[in-house]
Amino acid sequence: MSTSLNPCKHLSDYKLRYGIKGFNSIQKWIKSSSPYSRSKTQMERSKSEIPRCGFCCGYEGRLYICLICSSMSCSLSSESNHALLHTQNQIGHEIAVDLQRSELYCFSCSDQVYDPDFDKAVMTEQVLGLGNGNLDGIVGRSNGKRKRLGFEGSDFKNLKRVVVVGGGELDHGRRISKSCFPVGLRGLNNLGNTCFMNSVLQALLHAPPFRNYFLGGRHDRDSCRKGSADRLCLSCDIDVVFSAVFSGDRAPYSPARFLYSWWRLSENLACYEQQDAHEFFMSVLDRIHEKEGKTRNTNKDNGDCHCVAHRAFSGLLRSDVTCTTCGFTSTTYDPCVDISLDFNTTVDHFAANKAQKSTETGVSTLTSCLDLFTRPEKLGSDQKLFCQNCQERHESVKQMSIRRLPLVLCLHVKRFEHSLARKASRKIDRHLQFPFSLDMTPYVSSSIVRKRFGNRIFAFEGDESEISTNFEVFAVITHSGMLESGHYMTYLRLNEQWYKCDDAWITEVDDEVVRASQIYLAFYVQKPNGHKTGEDNVSCHLRSSVSSDSFVSIAGCC
Amino acid sequence: MSAPDDDNKSSSHTQLASHFFSELLDSVIMDVASESHRIARLGLDRNLDDEEEELRLSAQARARLADPSNSEANSKYVVDIFGQTHPPVASEIFDCMNCGRSIVAGRFAPHLEKCMGKGRKARVKATRSSTAAAQNR
Repeated sequence: MSTSLNPCKHLSDYKLRYGIKGFNSIQKWIKSSSPYSRSKTQMERSKSEIPRCGFCCGYEGRLYICLICSSMSCSLSSESNHALLHTQNQIGHEIAVDLQRSELYCFSCSDQVYDPDFDKAVMTEQVLGLGNGNLDGIVGRSNGKRKRLGFEGSDFKNLKRVVVVGGGELDHGRRISKSCFPVGLRGLNNLGNTCFMNSVLQALLHAPPFRNYFLGGRHDRDSCRKGSADRLCLSCDIDVVFSAVFSGDRAPYSPARFLYSWWRLSENLACYEQQDAHEFFMSVLDRIHEKEGKTRNTNKDNGDCHCVAHRAFSGLLRSDVTCTTCGFTSTTYDPCVDISLDFNTTVDHFAANKAQKSTETGVSTLTSCLDLFTRPEKLGSDQKLFCQNCQERHESVKQMSIRRLPLVLCLHVKRFEHSLARKASRKIDRHLQFPFSLDMTPYVSSSIVRKRFGNRIFAFEGDESEISTNFEVFAVITHSGMLESGHYMTYLRLNEQWYKCDDAWITEVDDEVVRASQIYLAFYVQKPNGHKTGEDNVSCHLRSSVSSDSFVSIAGCC
Repeated sequence: MSAPDDDNKSSSHTQLASHFFSELLDSVIMDVASESHRIARLGLDRNLDDEEEELRLSAQARARLADPSNSEANSKYVVDIFGQTHPPVASEIFDCMNCGRSIVAGRFAPHLEKCMGKGRKARVKATRSSTAAAQNR
């Protein structure tokens, strides 16, 4: 959130003279109501009388309370503005509070103004007024200890070694010439309806933390084989695939061994037929976690799993259920390795500015799906939940948000609709616009909670997070054709060039082809703070300090 | 049948209704204006330009590719970026890790299914029971 908010001269003068006394004095009048109601921050001076203007005793128009003398005055029109009159009669009484919205207004500037201390006073009153009492889930806790995500110095050194072995000089920011192709670009043979597997493998091969882990030799096949009784380890087979694909050999590779291992480990999915790429992706992460999770989590740190699957893909979702009667909110957290998004076919005309653009072009966008995901959802009257505060069942509102973003964000577009009623499934073929650079700020918990409380200047939980919210796409998996008989392909972005990976065929494509494609799974990777979109400053990544979550786009001659 | 009294009453009712409506309308407008003002002033909408740019590029891309002369989907591959060609069915031959036989890559999956005993019969049984389970839920 922008902190470069400069108060107007009148507001700063006011604060110098009166500090926060005025804010505190009007605090008691703030009537708190359920966060999702329209009258969220109305003020009320008396419970028995309607508010009236001190000049004319009128109750129409906009009412303001002076921050210095607490007198109330109305503003009806340019001709009848008693609030302005008050500021002219009493020198220095320029700042007032709008009764209906608890917003500060400066009558000298004729503008709405903002102050962190005022917002804090409003917030405190609001939250205490809700059934919560405590500020859990709303107020940020200063968390001094920065969470290290496990990619320490040794990783970095290994990476450098790999780059050197890769054979090329790093191109400092320039597009590499056509005669040099990125390492790790290799076709995968279709073994018989296995495009679902090939497409996901291509994405995994280039997911930076995943790639760095395996190329850095972090999975020791030898000790794994010795240590394990059943000798079944999908990570070992993945390691083999990595070695093969990054070997420099450009003839298509057949991931037969990998298929065999995966089938042995996934009884229910093992069969010769077209499968769902998303299901396969989840299954692979599960298998990796099962094996690695046991050996690596001997002492769990905050319940976070340190297996490579979770370190790369795991995030935390927050679910808030609010009682519509008293405003009490119950918050739960659940880890996730991806986000499945419902297709947003209806465009909300009153949502944020961007939705407006969608209506104009008539296009569904990935961000509107994310909006839908984080939108407050009124639970049906048949789903009344028991409110701890009211001690009875009331209608409630549920809202999702992202408490912790993963390093690699996998967004799953639910294109396959299964209708239980019609006992049929259908595919939503509609095009979905997606950005190459994605800012996840509006969907994180602190933003969602902040918005729920009227976007006040306040340290909401999650604000203190140092993780970047800027993401850059590096792979998209597309599905073409029909539900039962379709084809998966992956578009990979390496060094700002897009490559189409269609089983054994690797070809170069323009940005446009990717933008116009029908995405099913989109993979975004966190861009470290300070690196703005579009600039792929490879040399900078190398020189940057080890403590940042650095990952390198490896470029080299083949 | 409209007596003068009724007329006055209805016109004052209309006036009153009209008055209430304008008050409500003003209140709603002010609500939206105040909310948007806060969002803009606090910089909570700073990505609008980037988003618009992405939308524009996407629309442009779709328009260009909708052009029939530009059909990417139907174009057959001649060579890949490494200058190689590949047959429709992958022709690499390797040994099956289950039974040891030499198998053609493109037919490996159906072979493995039978080889591992995960034939169609076995799968159908599983489907029936899982469907039944789903119905019973």
